[in-house]
Amino acid sequence: MSGGAAGRAALGVRLGGGVWLFLGPALALMLAVYLAPLFDTAVVSLHPNTPSGIDRGRWTIANYLRLVDTYYWDVLLRTLRVSVLITAFSVLLAYPVAVWLAGLGPRGQTWAILVYMSPWFVNAVVKSFGWTLILGNKGLVNRGLMNLGVIDTPLRLMLNETGIVIGLLPGHFLFVLLPLWAALKGLDGNLRWAAMTLGARPWQVFLRVTVPLTLPALLAGAIINFTMNMAAFAAPALLGGTRTRVLSFVAYQVNLEELNWPFGGALAVAMLVVTLGFVTVAQGVTRRGLAGGGR
Amino acid sequence: MGGTPAGLEAQSLVKRFGATTAVDGIDIQVRPGEFFTVLGPSGCGKTTFLRLVAGILTPDGGRIAIGGADVSHAPIWARRIGLVFQNYALFPHMTVAQNVGFGLAMRKIPRAEREPRVARALATVRLEGYGGRKPSELSGGQQQRVALARAIVVEPDLLLLDEPLSNLDARLREDMRSELADLQHRLGITTILVTHDIHEAFSLSDRVAVMRQGRVEQVGAPTELYDRPANRFVAGFLGPVNEWTGRIGRIAGGVAEVALEGLRSCRVAALPDWREGGSATVVLRPERLAVRALDGDPPPGTIAGRVDQVAHLGNLVNYRVALGQRALLAQTAPGRTAGLALGSAVAIDWEDADLAPVSA
Repeated sequence: MSGGAAGRAALGVRLGGGVWLFLGPALALMLAVYLAPLFDTAVVSLHPNTPSGIDRGRWTIANYLRLVDTYYWDVLLRTLRVSVLITAFSVLLAYPVAVWLAGLGPRGQTWAILVYMSPWFVNAVVKSFGWTLILGNKGLVNRGLMNLGVIDTPLRLMLNETGIVIGLLPGHFLFVLLPLWAALKGLDGNLRWAAMTLGARPWQVFLRVTVPLTLPALLAGAIINFTMNMAAFAAPALLGGTRTRVLSFVAYQVNLEELNWPFGGALAVAMLVVTLGFVTVAQGVTRRGLAGGGR
Repeated sequence: MGGTPAGLEAQSLVKRFGATTAVDGIDIQVRPGEFFTVLGPSGCGKTTFLRLVAGILTPDGGRIAIGGADVSHAPIWARRIGLVFQNYALFPHMTVAQNVGFGLAMRKIPRAEREPRVARALATVRLEGYGGRKPSELSGGQQQRVALARAIVVEPDLLLLDEPLSNLDARLREDMRSELADLQHRLGITTILVTHDIHEAFSLSDRVAVMRQGRVEQVGAPTELYDRPANRFVAGFLGPVNEWTGRIGRIAGGVAEVALEGLRSCRVAALPDWREGGSATVVLRPERLAVRALDGDPPPGTIAGRVDQVAHLGNLVNYRVALGQRALLAQTAPGRTAGLALGSAVAIDWEDADLAPVSA
């Protein structure tokens, strides 16, 4: 990648060995408070848990074998299913919204972006309780539909996977929207006219020019969106309920309620591996998509 | 390539943006096969005109016909137009061959037919063997040629060039200019160039329209515009000029006697609105003003002045001659002997036939 060189060129300086002087503090901090605990979590997950605590003297893979237990397997599949669904909805919505957004005036764009950011102005727990007022059996949606006579019995909109998707989608959509919006704004407007003078209809311009040139941004956003879905905690805990647990919540329970750090560590490592696996596959798809983009 | 070239006809074309009128009722006729240039300063409406012809903008009034067919409100993709942008607007995610082949694919030309046509278009712009490269791997001049190839491969009725050379450095611009001229002659394609560069306009065009503030000031062959500008704006825009005013004496047989202020009387072709006793403006190009070293009294018919400023341009020398309060511009080819020195006395003279009457 030439990003580093471009960055240094932009600064107008050649850092040479001095680069470590600038990177060092941040790197040391990351090592101390993020990578070291993460590494220790992985190590702990290979030790057995005993009533008196972690037995660091013995090694075992028993914690990982427990993961294939139906309960945990179901939790893992549910977490993946919900995360993929939210990412899929976000990606589907991204182009229409981003194209509309990029076509607004500067003030309109600022306000619209603020609206899409607004889920982040409210604390996740408060927001989830807010959703219960809307999605609950006696919530706004169900009461409204029942008063209108559309339904007789309330729809189950929360305490299931639907609740998790509804709770996370508005906030996490922003991370697909923003990069795509930026990419669309960065497109040379003349490309559109050039394609049209060559006989392309608007939808052909979109498929043959706009999408190939903005797809990397969309996929980058989708990857961020997916990792956030996988790691989300408060909204799934409150809107998913006891019967619809996701991996992050189960890991929390095992670690902090059962105080079983080794198995909690195994859950955490499993989550990390699955997420990284998905991200790697997605990046591979992006690269291949770019290589053959013009065909 | 292609069948018979098509002409363009723009009638009372109007385009407004809010309160400003970018194109204010212009009439332009481009003959089939002609190289036509719309020349003007930035903001004169020339690019708006081009975008109206291309269909990127829709006119608020008037009509546009290409090859006799009214296309005023036809969508862009239905007009048979090749457009080359100032920034080339190549598709960065496609190879050179894919860029050039894009128009053929959009026009549903079978794949087997596309490849030879792409190869031929690339050969036309001297880029054989570059088909597999990405635009980002090419120099500015090469990108320019890809943009040209992409525009001509679909055999458009009309080739539109929007300041195509202004992003190139000076040397390359000269090369591309002559290449563009060759290409247009070979293909015989009706071409409209939009530029603010007088040299570009003059060296390439059969005819030029000079635009100002959304209106066409004058249309004609380059020499016609240069030697017989219709008004002061056209005269000044096409190069430095001596502008003189005087009182109109007798008008007879279309020729007026004008007593130029501070100079001498002259005989010039009268403009229709000139009246005896009124005031007139004439212009004279600096290279038509003769300056000679003066020793003693000026010969009859000439006027004495003093060299005020000398600028050597290599193949030309510019003089500014002070004549009382006024300054005259003269331009000559440098002689073998030393030119006129700063401060030297000179006699100036001109042929009345070189004077051009202009309206205000």
